[in-house]
Amino acid sequence: MNPAIEEHLATNLYFDRTFNSEAAKILPGEYYYTAKPMLIVTVLGSCVAACIRDRVSGIGGMNHFMLPDGGGDPGSPTSASMRYGAYAMEVLINQLLKAGARRENFEAKVFGGGNVLRGFTAINVGERNARFVREFLRAENIRIVAEDMNDIHPRKVYFFPQTGKVLVKKLRQLNNYTLVKREQVYAHQLQNNAVAGDVDLF
Amino acid sequence: MADPNTKFLVVDDFSTMRRIVRNLLKELGYSNVEEAEDGADGLAKLKAGGFDFVVSDWNMPNMDGLTMLQQIRADANLSKIPVLMVTAEAKKENIIAAAQAGANGYVVKPFTAATLDEKLSKIFEKMEKAGA
Repeated sequence: MNPAIEEHLATNLYFDRTFNSEAAKILPGEYYYTAKPMLIVTVLGSCVAACIRDRVSGIGGMNHFMLPDGGGDPGSPTSASMRYGAYAMEVLINQLLKAGARRENFEAKVFGGGNVLRGFTAINVGERNARFVREFLRAENIRIVAEDMNDIHPRKVYFFPQTGKVLVKKLRQLNNYTLVKREQVYAHQLQNNAVAGDVDLF
Repeated sequence: MADPNTKFLVVDDFSTMRRIVRNLLKELGYSNVEEAEDGADGLAKLKAGGFDFVVSDWNMPNMDGLTMLQQIRADANLSKIPVLMVTAEAKKENIIAAAQAGANGYVVKPFTAATLDEKLSKIFEKMEKAGA
């Protein structure tokens, strides 16, 4: 059996000198959440990131994912795309709730979904990811208070959960090869691994 | 496949997840499905009667899936109803706790229709044997 797809808590923690703050950097397929005054940073191409926080307690977190291209009708509620996307969102939200956040206090800011893989794939992967995250949050009654999605540029996103502030830098001049490469590897993993948990007990 | 009229209760705090499970069940031929949005809501619906099978999430506000399972097992009218836990929690201690509380099966998200089918068949098979 293929290894299962699983969302991971980011492990790349560092001290960010620019913002004089503890920081967590998240990669595709990862998430991070905190109740502390720190920042969470990621670089997005066609992937999307949802920054979700409790606006009362300041507990917040960010994920970073894309929908797998699992064949069949990706819009169907039982497609691999939908199942994985919903799972990626649920993992982050469950952790926030467990940390003490309250669902009724949630607000979200969403980023990414740029058409940066154009030329590599026939469909606009970024747009599909962006649409999913908007629709998911609407269905779950989580208000989107800010967004910067689609377009063709990669983005670097800094999220400060305690205040809710987000800084987005569009990367126009950068050599994006590393980013594109990383997303392709991630997309490939999603495609080859079963969109299924690997625990099989009783 | 068991009786297609088997009445399911799907308990999950994410409407997206309830919709996914409902549609997976439909693909497997079960369309008699109702939903509850947390353990407390689920337990109230179960107490009102008529359900044959529970598919429940773990992490939910008000009452989580494990507590609901424990209350089901402690209630003489509901104690025999099969409960399949469907959760994003893949940790061993969660699985053990669910088994100890009397879960009939455990599926880790994100799962496929095939996995759900296999778990349901297994549970129906065991029930038949127990009933025979």
